[in-house]
Amino acid sequence: MSQSGRTAPALSPVLLLGFALRPAPKPALQAAASLAMAALLRSHRGVFERLEGLANLDFLIDPVDLPFRFHLSAALPSPRLHVLGEDQKPEPPVAAMIRGPLPALIDLLEGRIDGDALFFSRALAVEGDMAAVVALRNAVDGADISLAEDLLQPLGPIGAPARALLRAGGALYRRAERDLETLRAALIAPVQRRCDAQEAQLHDLDETVASMPARRRERRP
Amino acid sequence: MSLRALELVCPAGTPASLRAAVDAGADAIYLGFRDETNARNFPGLNFSRDELAEGIAYAGSRGAKVLVAINTYPRAGNPGPWTKAVDDAAALGAWAVILADIGLLDYARQHHPDLRRHLSVQASAANAQAIRFYCDEFGVKRVVLPRVLTVDEIARINDAVEVETEVFAFGGMCVMAEGRCLLSSYATGESPNMNGVCSPAEHVHYEERNGQLVSRLGGFTINKFRDGEPAGYPTLCKGRFRACKRDSYLFEEPVSLDVSNILPSLMDAGVTALKIEGRQRGKAYVAQVVSAFRRAVDAAARGERPDTADLSSITEGGRQSTGAYEKAWR
Ligand code: SF4
Repeated sequence: MSQSGRTAPALSPVLLLGFALRPAPKPALQAAASLAMAALLRSHRGVFERLEGLANLDFLIDPVDLPFRFHLSAALPSPRLHVLGEDQKPEPPVAAMIRGPLPALIDLLEGRIDGDALFFSRALAVEGDMAAVVALRNAVDGADISLAEDLLQPLGPIGAPARALLRAGGALYRRAERDLETLRAALIAPVQRRCDAQEAQLHDLDETVASMPARRRERRP
Repeated sequence: MSLRALELVCPAGTPASLRAAVDAGADAIYLGFRDETNARNFPGLNFSRDELAEGIAYAGSRGAKVLVAINTYPRAGNPGPWTKAVDDAAALGAWAVILADIGLLDYARQHHPDLRRHLSVQASAANAQAIRFYCDEFGVKRVVLPRVLTVDEIARINDAVEVETEVFAFGGMCVMAEGRCLLSSYATGESPNMNGVCSPAEHVHYEERNGQLVSRLGGFTINKFRDGEPAGYPTLCKGRFRACKRDSYLFEEPVSLDVSNILPSLMDAGVTALKIEGRQRGKAYVAQVVSAFRRAVDAAARGERPDTADLSSITEGGRQSTGAYEKAWR
């Protein structure tokens, strides 16, 4: 599993955040990942217990819009989330890789979106041991995970300002997402028009071929 | 005008999905134990005994019923897990069990005469004679009809039998007579009817190759999806194969069943209940489909034209079909 399977990510606030994070020191990113993992283990130990029968509990999580990936070791008693550089290989080898835009991966983690639907729409790619992927998906979907709540839970009522801040951040994020989508549509508009015209031409051609008698079609070179 | 509403029977693969289904307006939830006794034996899915007890309590407190599917065929020489599943479902207060095997139906009738017995689609009872046999011999109260009948055929069956019928309303299309398809067994060596899963995940491989998504089941390439083309599960019946020098779907395309626009015809045909497929899907799917069907079923009961729900974003291949009900392909 290498970067080769990565297709160009869509223009999104996360992509821009990824550029901003590129120079961030890895220990800082690792500390944030470890904090998130500790919160998950504290609030949702059952997720990891559901996975216990699997032979290999290592997964590569690849957010296409960030310049790094995550190596999830889901084995109890101490599951870990390692931040990997773009070209860094996970060690030990993982059972499977799950790749998609970060917002979709978080929606999946928090059960807001159906994993199969993401896969059907090609927003999500999976490779490797599918039994392990299905088990992870089912274990995560069975829990009521809310990353923000799980992170803030130890703070109790004094976490209220942080919750308010997160809500404001969420609104800001959605606004930025809409603005970037408008920008993206404006940038690709000329190319999109050409594509639409070519698609219409192809459609006409298809119809012409379909309406030709079968024998004439066979004689075509 | 108010007609009798179709009962909405909804899937749950986890306790979270059960709560999502109940909250979205399910009349009944069907689920299975976490083992090979049911036909959705996926890794990490299904219910422990304790989770079933909690699920029955949650559903019951909100007026919904719980049905336990024990619908695979017991292994020769080891029926223990299957009979134990029936005993536990009865002891925990399930409203009904969904069974396919005649031995297990007989066991349930003898040991738990008050436990409602539904005939699983896996029994493939597709005509009035077969259905009458199950009712007379095993006291079956409801039959889940296979997805191979037209609405007219369903109406004729309902005219000829006394028992309630339940039909599939949304989700995966199983285009063969259920319980009798051997395609997955041939490709993987594991039988959907015994091991509880068609196209088991252990035998599925996906690979990105030259911008295409290649899906394989066992040693067989099932499909190649172009960049951006909506994908589907690697089930053999929905594979794209080369025949007569052409790549095409030989049996069925990746598509999901959706009967929301023929609900009035199903009511006229005497159907009692609608089953939503998808115990293996996430709770977001369950919530979205159940609430859409709740609205559609209630509208149909008021005699209004049901609003065709736009569920294409969660369908296989991004497309919906009324399948055999309107007999476009059989
Ligand atoms: S291969 Fe298709 S028809 Fe056969 S059991 Fe699987 S889904 Fe049903």
